[in-house]
Amino acid sequence: MKTLFNTGNAAITEGAIWAGCQVFAGYPITPGTEIAENMSRRLPEVGGYYIQAEDETASLHICAGASLGGLKSMTATSGPGFVLYADPYGWAIGCEIPVVVVNAQRVGPVSGITGAPGQGEFYFSRYPTHGGNFETIVLAPNSSQEAFNMTLEAFRLAERFRTPVTILADQLVADGWESFQLPETPEELASLGLGVVPRLVHPGPDFYPPSDAIDIPPVVLGRGTGAAASDWTPTEEGYDTEEIEPQMWHAHRLVHKILQHRELIDRHEAYFLEDSPPLVLVSYGSPSRVVRSAVRQARAEGLAVGAIRLQSLWPFQDALFHPKTIHLVVELNTDGQLVREVARAAKGETHFWGRCGELPGVSELLVVIRDILSGQAPRSMPGQWEAW
Amino acid sequence: MPRREILISGFGGQGVVLAGRILGYAAVLAGQKATMLVSHGTETRGGYVRSQVVVASQDIDSPLVEKPDFFAALSQAAYQRFIPLVTAGLTLYDPALVTPGEPITSRHQPVPARELAEAKTGSVLAANMVFLGVILAGLPTISREAGKQAVREIVRRQVEKNILALEAGYALAESRVVSG
Repeated sequence: MKTLFNTGNAAITEGAIWAGCQVFAGYPITPGTEIAENMSRRLPEVGGYYIQAEDETASLHICAGASLGGLKSMTATSGPGFVLYADPYGWAIGCEIPVVVVNAQRVGPVSGITGAPGQGEFYFSRYPTHGGNFETIVLAPNSSQEAFNMTLEAFRLAERFRTPVTILADQLVADGWESFQLPETPEELASLGLGVVPRLVHPGPDFYPPSDAIDIPPVVLGRGTGAAASDWTPTEEGYDTEEIEPQMWHAHRLVHKILQHRELIDRHEAYFLEDSPPLVLVSYGSPSRVVRSAVRQARAEGLAVGAIRLQSLWPFQDALFHPKTIHLVVELNTDGQLVREVARAAKGETHFWGRCGELPGVSELLVVIRDILSGQAPRSMPGQWEAW
Repeated sequence: MPRREILISGFGGQGVVLAGRILGYAAVLAGQKATMLVSHGTETRGGYVRSQVVVASQDIDSPLVEKPDFFAALSQAAYQRFIPLVTAGLTLYDPALVTPGEPITSRHQPVPARELAEAKTGSVLAANMVFLGVILAGLPTISREAGKQAVREIVRRQVEKNILALEAGYALAESRVVSG
């Protein structure tokens, strides 16, 4: 095991190489550019292909095409590029094409600020394309080590579920430097609880079964399989159809293959929940690091507070949130996105603390924790807390 | 080692990020954990740059430097922007670049980094290594060998000159008893 001091972007790159990624197509954008730079160096070393695409739409189309050709693939961008993935993302969902998509969120809307973190694509990552009738898988790392681990997990889930998987990072996770362990042998990889699912070739003839089954090899064009992968609703055999019944089975499959096996996807970390504290902070990504420091300090002061850190965002983990708990959701935005889901799931007292472009300070969060626990009325200025 | 927070800030081209990278990697070589957040303007050179480095023997939660144990001010603008954060920590500044504002309410240590770098290496470019040497001397769980090894693995050119500048920083710290 080698210990590195490097960025989340470097960790994602090494995770992808370990996972067997052979194609990366991308278009540069801060803070995701470094992944493209690193992949352009690393892929040729492992016999893979790096393609500088003409834009983000082409990037994900190329990745989906490569995956249909039998090669694992990944692309990476930030919010302004993620929006351009909408068309190929839908194709990959509909044709059940495994591909890994990284979005290092920066502050927005539109181009926003290149070097400042944001969390504006929480809902957008749930609905990254049009048309409905699908579920998505979204993972959210908060450190370089987890960025490495989750990239392997994303490739594993993409293969098993035959679907795109989004790694929703943020600028601080992507560009932030940190020490992390890089395995050098399969045994060391296994010691981190990680493994690699190989790419298999579906022999046909039934490529799109009307069931919620997973672990079915993905469609690979050519190789005598007789497969087709157009963007129309497919029959079981993969032919285009205008009939409603196969459409209903297709939609059922896209939703329920994920929901029926969500125990393979759901993951979170809980801190200081053993004594069921009245107040629980909820966050994901880089703000969760500050939340953890704040909750530790609050506990040291004798305050009854805990924290939940979501590691998978979608499907949303409703069961983590209870109506008798007060939830304080901390996000890198001022409109409040995660808080809407927490409020919906918890059906109890919920508060929001948001700021765009930079992390909250530990001392700022401590003030809010003390205010809520002492029954203070919330204040609704940007960067302060408000009731939901 | 308990958590130590180091803030290095100046303008683009001074090696603020490089110094942070070497510091973080030296901590790793010494078996410690490290994080670094980098913020900068859009310019490659000349704009504002800040490295927030945290080193600790345990896993690091918040990577923010909110109460720096060491603040290396490499420009007047950086000094003025971040000096309010320093309460118990030590501010290091190059008197050729920074004039401390009055009244000085926290501990200050002048580090004539440009002068020392020029004297030892013939160039002011390694001034960042002088600051780094002073900081590393104040982090005794990171051995001097780890500091030098980190320079050797990360710096691509003029490695030995950078080591000379680093050693000048260590020597300065030893002569003036610097501690975080």
